[in-house]
Amino acid sequence: MTAAGAVAPSAPLSRDSQLAAEIKGLVAGGERDAARERYGELVAHQQRRAVRIAYQYLRDVHDADEAVQDAFIKVFMHITSYREDLPFEVWFTRILVNACLDLRKSRSRRLRWAVPMSSTGDVPPSEPSAPEPTPEQRLVSRERADEITAAVESLPARQRTVFTLCHLAEQTTAEVSQALGLSEATVRVHLFRAIRKLRRLLERD
Amino acid sequence: MKASHLSDDRLIELCVLDEASATEQQHLSACARCDARRGRMQRLLDEVSDTAAAAADAAFTPERLGRQQARILAHLQHEGRPARVIAFPAGHGAHEPTVSRTRPGSRWIAAAAVAGLVVGAIAGRFGHDYSFYSLGRPGPSRVIVARTAEQPELRASGSTATIREVTASISDDEFLNQLEIAIDGPAAAALQPIDELTPRSWEVR
Repeated sequence: MTAAGAVAPSAPLSRDSQLAAEIKGLVAGGERDAARERYGELVAHQQRRAVRIAYQYLRDVHDADEAVQDAFIKVFMHITSYREDLPFEVWFTRILVNACLDLRKSRSRRLRWAVPMSSTGDVPPSEPSAPEPTPEQRLVSRERADEITAAVESLPARQRTVFTLCHLAEQTTAEVSQALGLSEATVRVHLFRAIRKLRRLLERD
Repeated sequence: MKASHLSDDRLIELCVLDEASATEQQHLSACARCDARRGRMQRLLDEVSDTAAAAADAAFTPERLGRQQARILAHLQHEGRPARVIAFPAGHGAHEPTVSRTRPGSRWIAAAAVAGLVVGAIAGRFGHDYSFYSLGRPGPSRVIVARTAEQPELRASGSTATIREVTASISDDEFLNQLEIAIDGPAAAALQPIDELTPRSWEVR
């Protein structure tokens, strides 16, 4: 993990930031088709990271899919407002997090009107675990994965978001503070609380 | 030595955000307890991120990501383009004032309604005269309705549906009620194919 701190304007831009700046130039110059083609590359670079963040946040494949698509489309539509002096990842993450928040809101609105199908509540969808040599090991691994998933889900929304962005998306506290519109000190407090709680829930000895 | 033990928050920062300073690094090398604490925390955080990444990667296979990317780019292809305008049929130019308010479809509907009225009137009269029991007998209007009890029945050849003549005068409400019963009855099912072949008024343009 890199050292935290303010995002230095003079720091060399990442490859994706340079690509985003190039796309911005193409769109501004009216070369939309060329911009779209280059944007495909940017999507390919950022997609895996984006779905991990969205899935961790929303815990639903379809919602995560939708949020990521929505974020990528919004980014392209507003690429001319991208500031080249900032890392593209930060800007994109902010848009993605907003897309996740919007979806979460609409999902809770949807659930309010839906008739519950079972009493299982908000149980995360089952996910296939990595192949294990024996069924016992597979079971233990699966149980542990469920335990971890449940622990992360039990975090308050803000703590989970900060934890997801800092730890899973590997963003600095400065970047997260920009993405969420919080002070860096607040981001750190949420992160400490989240990890302390996870440790309490998950440490075995 | 005890005074310089690293705090939990500092350990979190070292695991997630910062790199250890030279002094801290020195302490961790010398203090087995702090080193073990850091190791435990790092393992826990790695376990959480591995679990989250594995769950997201299992949900979003490369094929799914490919489809997602294709959808994003397809969506962007249509963005910024003017909406397709469907032209009105020829003969209704924008500059040409519409004189007649009657559309061709309306004329067909009106003609069909008139024809239906005429046929209905003739059939109604013929229906009265057709009755086995009232042939040439003047009196109150009679209606053929669905089966009831204790009256002479008319049984159509090859059909199980029975009909009988109602000799009493009935109100419009009763008539419509009986008409609905007849429509819902099994005899009406035979007319279903004809009904399906008949174009609806909104289909006639």
